[in-house]
Amino acid sequence: MLSYGFMQNAFFVSLFISILCPCIGVFLVLRRYSMIGDTLAHSSLAGITIGLLFNQSPVLGAFIFTSICGALIEFLRKYFKKYTDLILTIVLALSVGTAITIISSGKLHTSADSFMFGSILTVTKTDMIMVAVLSVISVLTLVFLYHQMVYIAYDEEAARVAGVKAGLINYVFFVLVASAISVSIRIVGVLVLSSMIALPVATALQLEKGFKTTLLFSIVFSMIDIMTGLVISYYLNVAPGGFTALVSVFVLIVVMAGKKIYYSTKATSKA
Amino acid sequence: MIKAENLSFSYSGSSPFILNGLELEIKDGEYVSIVGDNGCGKSTLLKLILKFIRPTRGSIVSDAKKIGYVPQKSDGANSGFPITVWEMLNSYSKLLKIKDKSVVSESLRQVGLSEHSRSLMGNLSGGQAQKALIARALMGSPDLLILDEPSAGVDIDSQREIYAFLKKLNQECGMTIVSVEHNLDAAISNSTAIFHLHGGHGHFCTPEKYSAEYLGKDDRHA
Repeated sequence: MLSYGFMQNAFFVSLFISILCPCIGVFLVLRRYSMIGDTLAHSSLAGITIGLLFNQSPVLGAFIFTSICGALIEFLRKYFKKYTDLILTIVLALSVGTAITIISSGKLHTSADSFMFGSILTVTKTDMIMVAVLSVISVLTLVFLYHQMVYIAYDEEAARVAGVKAGLINYVFFVLVASAISVSIRIVGVLVLSSMIALPVATALQLEKGFKTTLLFSIVFSMIDIMTGLVISYYLNVAPGGFTALVSVFVLIVVMAGKKIYYSTKATSKA
Repeated sequence: MIKAENLSFSYSGSSPFILNGLELEIKDGEYVSIVGDNGCGKSTLLKLILKFIRPTRGSIVSDAKKIGYVPQKSDGANSGFPITVWEMLNSYSKLLKIKDKSVVSESLRQVGLSEHSRSLMGNLSGGQAQKALIARALMGSPDLLILDEPSAGVDIDSQREIYAFLKKLNQECGMTIVSVEHNLDAAISNSTAIFHLHGGHGHFCTPEKYSAEYLGKDDRHA
């Protein structure tokens, strides 16, 4: 399997996805923003079509358009304080509207289908460079802003008292989300992208540990989900995105069951 | 010192005003409890001091160099967030750019929570969580400590410990304390002054005078 160049490319990109997605996902989930991941995944589809329309890198197109939509969500939060779910509907309308209009215009020279479901075969060298650059920059930004991001997610008021520029960091955060999404679309696909951001974190949360441990386990579960999904989808000849999502649900159920068994055994031994 | 002049605030920007032409002056080293009925603007006044919101009219200024803030336990903080006590304090010390690595363990020792450093914040009792938030507020040695109902959801023994600690901070360290209080007994026993908010206005009185007014009202109801 690894003797094929396209599989080597797929593993290379998957490694970056499995680190970057949970790093961003942990903040999205803990801020109750999981659905923003889904909305921005649809924004990335619009970005891909714009990239393809202008014969540019679709990953770059996705990154730029998704960043703009992320900034738009943060901007609109001030105007729809009491109806925050409406913001997602607005951005979803803009994104899906753009994508459908461009796809149906017949002006695209390449099909955007592979981005919907994820594909191992379509990872190009340019994609790999884009993925590596975006991932490294994103992880470094995350490391640099780690304590600020933790506090904005945990207690934004306290962060502001300590002098954190929460508004500015929120914009940076949405650029990071855009980056994670753009990096993942090739392999995972738009339709199940939000599950790759949220499910490894949901699994790690079952362990009931502190933030750093939750983050580390999110990365571990993400690697298990994506690598297993990639290998099995190769042998089954199915789209990697869909199967990776199934693996991540399976791992979550296994961890939840293991937790239940652990607590019942503990209670029995105490009695 | 905190000084408010003709301070008015309304969330809509127009009438009705929660605070309406309020005058206030709190001197350094005072322990002021802000009391009043629900919805009279106590927490709004704290938010104005903290600059979370801006006055609709008038002004409020504070010359405190460092402010420590203890929110209501149910406010702000994300209760489902998986963060240990140690992580919560350590990250906060990084935000304040404190280089002394012993500051976290020293803060925990100060409030008697050393053995809970590895516990998740969400698993602490009301009293322990409040002590952890006070430990956080005291990091970086603030000259002004602001608290929003420090005894809410806290058992009687922990309340006693918390108020004794606050009184010590005020009397021995000279820290200025401003606290929104529903616990009138605690306000009367610990404060150097009480600021009573009513109808958008406020007035200062001594704890003794407030006690007499408060008990007097109790007598009339009896």
